Amino acid sequence: MSIDISHVNKRFGDFVALDDVNVSLPTGQLTALLGPSGGGKSTLLRIIAGLERADTGTITIEGVDATRTAPQKRNVGFVFQHYAVFKHMTVAKNVAFGLEIRNRPKAEIADRVDELLKLVHLSQFAHRLPSQLSGGQRQRMALARALAIQPKVLLLDEPFGALDAKVRKELREWLRRLHDEVPVTTVFVTHDQEEALEVADEIVVINEGRIEQVGTPDQLYDEPANDFVMDFLGEVTQLGTVRLRPHDIEIALNPDLAGSTAADILRLTRVGFEVRLVAGTEDGQEVSVVTTRTHARALGLEEGMRVWITPTSGATAVPAMKSLLSPAS
Amino acid sequence: MVELPTPAKWALRLIAVAYVFLLVGWPMITLVQNAFADGLASFQAAFSDPDVVHAMIVTIEISLWAVAINTVFGVGMALLLVRYEFPGKRALSALIDLPMSVSPVVIGLALLLVYNGRTGWFGPTLEAHGIQVIFNSPGMIMATCFVALPLVVREVVPVLTEIGDDQEQAATSLGANAFQTLRRITLPAIKWAVVYGVVLTLARSLGEFGALKIVSGNLTGQTQTAPLVVEQKYNNFAQGEAYAVSFILVLISVLCIVVVSLLRPKESSS
Repeated sequence: MSIDISHVNKRFGDFVALDDVNVSLPTGQLTALLGPSGGGKSTLLRIIAGLERADTGTITIEGVDATRTAPQKRNVGFVFQHYAVFKHMTVAKNVAFGLEIRNRPKAEIADRVDELLKLVHLSQFAHRLPSQLSGGQRQRMALARALAIQPKVLLLDEPFGALDAKVRKELREWLRRLHDEVPVTTVFVTHDQEEALEVADEIVVINEGRIEQVGTPDQLYDEPANDFVMDFLGEVTQLGTVRLRPHDIEIALNPDLAGSTAADILRLTRVGFEVRLVAGTEDGQEVSVVTTRTHARALGLEEGMRVWITPTSGATAVPAMKSLLSPAS
Repeated sequence: MVELPTPAKWALRLIAVAYVFLLVGWPMITLVQNAFADGLASFQAAFSDPDVVHAMIVTIEISLWAVAINTVFGVGMALLLVRYEFPGKRALSALIDLPMSVSPVVIGLALLLVYNGRTGWFGPTLEAHGIQVIFNSPGMIMATCFVALPLVVREVVPVLTEIGDDQEQAATSLGANAFQTLRRITLPAIKWAVVYGVVLTLARSLGEFGALKIVSGNLTGQTQTAPLVVEQKYNNFAQGEAYAVSFILVLISVLCIVVVSLLRPKESSS
């Protein structure tokens, strides 16, 4: 394991940011720390980098106890949400910073900077100032700067959080490809479950300073350990006594399927390729259902129609009653 | 922005211009006119007096010392106030602003009480070790530093607050130690604030009168500074020379401001 975190606690005044956190992050993988804002994921990342110090507990990086190591000695690459570019230096100088600090020969620095700028597709901007770059370009530059020091681990704190939706999607696909090319152990913090599911090899779900679940995107999505993880990874609705995803509900015009429930379509909204609708059962329950536009058109769904809804076989579901929840929550 | 009717706009502009002209412009113009009333005769008279030349040199020396000391401590103090949390921080911040609200004469008297060689709280001890503070350059530098204390701090604090500590943390994670981070990241980022602080400190130091009059003892040819010479010449009916020296003091201040404003646009357009 590349990064071992054991019994880490951190408080800010009365606020408990991390509550006895134990987790191991695997070498060479892309791991996401996923959770709501204020849940402690950024704090954990900053503790790994040494920018914050844990009250108790230990951090081991590649087998070396780094708990008391100064941040500048950890050889950890860190990428900040708001880029933290060195405004008075050119793009090339920004990338060269870590190498210049290490007093590497000039020729070696120049070669390495060229190579990195090529990697992040910024070669033609080498002599510009960061203020002349777009947000996405700045973040790529920050990534090249962090990679320049050949870090043992690369840490990214909400790296795409300040970018608009389209650039964000492009960059996360790019990050995935980059990681396949340069397989340095990478940990990134995000509150966007889609981002985590799409990019990460492994996801650590953190909430209120505690780890809720660790697993691959598929494990988390298909077998959520508890209500919180289920809720956080995607939309959840309730049908009868089970909680399940709105797209895991089948919709039919006749009660052909066993266990189907009669309901009336109360509201129907089309969002791009999908159709979202709210169906009211006879018990007065409002169930969200998501289906494709094609399917909705084939059935001729309209507001006010009577339909029969059934959980799809193999749907991810957890019982709705709090008392039935797994002990992990 | 509220769009004002044209006559009101012009009236407001006129009031603003008239205010500045009557308060600053006209008196300054009159001063320059008087300095040059007899061509360069007043300047020749003033600068052929060795005491005036000496006073100019003393003023410049004291000012440069005060600028150097206040720049180092001002930047350090600003970093302390913005980047660190500690008990008594608000008190320190208030104390730094004190020279703004206290009359320089009072500052001079306070320093006299502590450092004078006979009855001061600390003065006799220092004099026993051969350091004379009052009626000597150390005391004059201290008084000047005191009155100009907030100028660098108050220029640098808002800039440090605005840039945040992201860049410093990034430098640290890339392996820079505290000194390297300060030299390569923080100082370049606050460069212009420091330059402004230095110019203001220099201008303030060159013109300091009240505190220095008390602390220096106003010894002609020894501890007398240029502003003190202006007063002495004026009182001794050598008004021409007083205006000439005043003009030089104004000129240095104006030059400082001009130099900074010439340097500044180059920076932002590069």
